[in-house]
Amino acid sequence: MGARLMASLPYILLLAVTAWLWSVANTIEFDARPGALGPDFWPKAALLLMGALSAFQIAWALMASSDAQAVGMAAGLDEEDGDDAPRRPLLLALGVGLTIVYALTLDTLGFPIATTAFLIAFMYVGGARNHVAIWASSLVGVALTTALLMRVVYVSLPRGVPPFSGLADFITGF
Amino acid sequence: MTDILVQLGNGFLACLHPTTMLMLVVGIIVGLLVGVLPGLTLVMGVVLFLPFTYKMQVTDAIVLLSAMYVSGTYGGAFTSILFRIPGEPIHVPLLWDGYAMARKGKPAQALGWTLIAAFVGGLLSAVAMVLLTKPVASFALRFSSPEYFAILVFGLTSVIALGSGSLANALISLALGLLIASVGTDAIYGAERFTFGMPIFADGIEFLVVMVGAYGVGEVLTRLERGFSSKPLAAVATTKTKLPSLGEIGAVKSMLLRSTVIGHIVGLIPGAGATVAAFVSYGVEKQFGRKRAEMGSGVVEGIVAPQSAATASVGGALIPLLALGIPGSGATAVILGAFMLHGIQPGPQIMATSSAMVYTIFASIFIGIAVMCLMGYFAIRPLVKILDFPESIVSAFVMLFCFVGALAIRSNVTDLWLMIGFGALGYLFERYGFPIAPLVLGVILGPLAEESFMNSMISFSNDWTVFFTRPISGTVMALAILTLSLPIIGLIRNRRKPGASLAAAPAAAAEPNKAAPATAAPRAVRP
Repeated sequence: MGARLMASLPYILLLAVTAWLWSVANTIEFDARPGALGPDFWPKAALLLMGALSAFQIAWALMASSDAQAVGMAAGLDEEDGDDAPRRPLLLALGVGLTIVYALTLDTLGFPIATTAFLIAFMYVGGARNHVAIWASSLVGVALTTALLMRVVYVSLPRGVPPFSGLADFITGF
Repeated sequence: MTDILVQLGNGFLACLHPTTMLMLVVGIIVGLLVGVLPGLTLVMGVVLFLPFTYKMQVTDAIVLLSAMYVSGTYGGAFTSILFRIPGEPIHVPLLWDGYAMARKGKPAQALGWTLIAAFVGGLLSAVAMVLLTKPVASFALRFSSPEYFAILVFGLTSVIALGSGSLANALISLALGLLIASVGTDAIYGAERFTFGMPIFADGIEFLVVMVGAYGVGEVLTRLERGFSSKPLAAVATTKTKLPSLGEIGAVKSMLLRSTVIGHIVGLIPGAGATVAAFVSYGVEKQFGRKRAEMGSGVVEGIVAPQSAATASVGGALIPLLALGIPGSGATAVILGAFMLHGIQPGPQIMATSSAMVYTIFASIFIGIAVMCLMGYFAIRPLVKILDFPESIVSAFVMLFCFVGALAIRSNVTDLWLMIGFGALGYLFERYGFPIAPLVLGVILGPLAEESFMNSMISFSNDWTVFFTRPISGTVMALAILTLSLPIIGLIRNRRKPGASLAAAPAAAAEPNKAAPATAAPRAVRP
């Protein structure tokens, strides 16, 4: 029963999210037109589909005698393409943490510095140990990307606050 | 016919413009590299390059992405044959006969047959694309909103039915995509939906943020959790290509044509794409081919059938994209996104309003296939050398492209946060067996589906039966229902056969020698 409960957990969460979003959809403000569907109809239809299927999956996981379910017709095409390496949650947590720190510091450090730091840290976390390759590829890669986007394609990327913004100014002014 | 040839000729001339030609060559090279790298799927590669097309002319942007799409169906063949590493799920069938032929000491011949298959399959399919797009678009001009809604429903249901995972999970993924697409200001009432008081949400959630996050960040996180466990490359004797003689090609011409037709037709079906085309074509040869008993032992048929079908699916998939505005595969969904980013909505009108652009894209496919094969012939060694790069370095750069993709849209860090959120969602989807393709297609096609549904309701006084009573929309809706019910019928039939599974059935049909896995990376089949 424990395994069945665990299997149904994602759907229980989905059902809770669906219920909450339904309550949010009920608060959508609009001037109703007689005989016309409102702007809440479409999202509510999607929520209904999501909620009904989540409930079905919960019931299936808890009560059905077999795990067999209807699957898409391409199922099994790449069966032999499996990765049997063990999961390493610490690596995942570090990767997610780095990404969050990157987003938090981007506006302050600016794109070139924050991205270079992220790339170097991410490569080390990912297991690379060739220091020259890591530092060289990060520095050159970010410099080229920054120059290409900010000078050639004219995409506005965060420059950071002084003194960090100086690097973006240097690259774009070079 | 003359009109088509003249316009196609003008398209070839337009392709000779230096910028367009540069984009074409860059797209081919990047597509080949994406195909070679196991950590990068074809769809992911196209998604990651989309932000770089913002400031381009729309034609150059589409030429770049289409070139990536074409060559992405070919690049992975090298590593499948030489190293038993399918860069793309498309090339899993090449493990069976391509690698087997290489092990017999004929890797150059295997590479030569792959090249011929991609060349002939791609070109014939491109010819069919040029001939069919205009008639399909002309026919679609008769459509009104109920027909459009029905076609969108068919597109979405076939993505689900032709996927590789649980049908219920795929439908949940689709519903979530439709929900994400509904965030923002409603077009009819001007009402704000799910904005939670944040001004940036009033403009809606950009589909690019969802695509880049779910496909790019989600995949990188999934692989990081496994420690980027690519297997080391085996040494190979040669990376040369030996082309078959005309006599040898003539001996397999009917099989080559059959596989090309299968690939083109599968490409036409929304949601199917190159992977399904390759497997279906291989399965057909395995079931009915002249050398069916030898399939899996390194025969030419086992190489030519999947490769020609995979490349031929590109021409097929571009027809519904251009003529109807419905993407036939994950990659064409991104190309549709590129059109929309440039303010162009593909569909029946596009042949009248932007025919020069359309024929330039057509011509670029022809040139792209030729350039792709030339590069495949001369540049295999440097292309496969990219596998020497540590996966963590390649993945770090994938993350860089993801960040750029999110930041380039509105220059707003909120989009970056949203992308990280969708990256986490993509990871959870991979972990718990929810397919990402329906989510992304729901986000892209959701607004179109809602608009055509609401317009139908307004025009036909909320009579929902209109979708079933009009001849075209009724037929398409029936097809959608049939498509969606096929997996359920399969499950019921499967239950009557103890010990078998629906998932195993096509795989068993297509996979003759269940060899030990020696592939480098986990990949979900993404239509």
